[in-house]
Amino acid sequence: MPMKGRFPVRRTLQYLSQGDVVFKSSVKVMTVNYNTAGELSEGARKFVFFNIPQIQYKNPWVQIMLFRNMTPSPFLRFYLDNGEQVLVDVEDKTNKEITEHVKKILGKSKEMLEKEERERKKLSHPATFGPKKYHLRECMCEIEGQVPCPAFVPLPKEMRGKYKAAMKNEA
Amino acid sequence: MLPVLRRCCPGPVPLPALAAALGPGPFPGLCPGWSPRAVPARGRKTRHDPPSKSKAGRVNLPPPVDPEELLVVQERYRQYRLVLDALRAEFRAEVLQKKREERLAAEDSAEELEEHRRLMAWNDEENARQQKRREERARKEEEEQKRRKLEIAEKQARKMEAFLEEKEKEVLQLQEEAKTFITPENLEARIEECLDNPRNYNFAIDKDGRIVKRTVLS
Repeated sequence: MPMKGRFPVRRTLQYLSQGDVVFKSSVKVMTVNYNTAGELSEGARKFVFFNIPQIQYKNPWVQIMLFRNMTPSPFLRFYLDNGEQVLVDVEDKTNKEITEHVKKILGKSKEMLEKEERERKKLSHPATFGPKKYHLRECMCEIEGQVPCPAFVPLPKEMRGKYKAAMKNEA
Repeated sequence: MLPVLRRCCPGPVPLPALAAALGPGPFPGLCPGWSPRAVPARGRKTRHDPPSKSKAGRVNLPPPVDPEELLVVQERYRQYRLVLDALRAEFRAEVLQKKREERLAAEDSAEELEEHRRLMAWNDEENARQQKRREERARKEEEEQKRRKLEIAEKQARKMEAFLEEKEKEVLQLQEEAKTFITPENLEARIEECLDNPRNYNFAIDKDGRIVKRTVLS
């Protein structure tokens, strides 16, 4: 019941996040022309089946279109935002080679990705606590080395308000 | 009179009686308010229960307001908020502008363009290589096709030859056999010959085909 399709692993988050092709911000549309039969289109078919979900997951704002059996040989075409079109011939290539090729010409380099990651990390401080949406921890009691939550471990009576009030009343 | 102050005007209820009934309020005279001692608390009833009969004519008036003070305070707050909003908008715009400029600078830098051009050139080279490979493949395919066609033609020719040979052999064999045929001309001669040489078929053979025993012709 939870597994759908021929290779349901393609639907798992782990598989999708393993995709390493992140396009540059100038790439807007990716078009794949391939054939459903033929030995030469095999690599393109595998690319469409296995790698395109990963690419789309990492680039949600890139439009990907697939055209089947329209041309005799398979190819990829990228449309950039300055109007430039990049043609990539993928006949007789394996899907791994195709991904490597695409990553090389239009993917963000590792250094760039790391830089962006660092920038993103700078925006939030990991030591603060607050709503789960913006911080890692919600309450001070979750931080290591702090007083544990009184819901789980009762506070020593010296820290409790009723004891302190009783002491004050006595004195 | 300001519209906000209308709330403080007492309704048809006789106020002095109520004012006298309640304890010392913060604004003596005008309207009853909640004294600091008594705050709204649900107590026994839920929010869905109807209010009691003793509250039938109760008029809950808001705290009284000094109109001049209100005007002054509102004006001051208006100016304060105006200034703060302006400052905030200013800072926001500045930050956005900075971010935008940084982004554009990062994108339009010369080295980025250079890099892009280099990669596109590499891509074109790769396409050219792929084109060569494809032509190579097409050429090989054509040669293969031609070779196959030639082979087939040869095989066909050979088959025809073999067939013709077969037929030739058969014809020759038939010609040979024709020499031993019995025709009306040599019929009598052949009959005479047969009668002169009686053949004996009374023999036994073993499994290897050799004749084992012969019976004498009687």
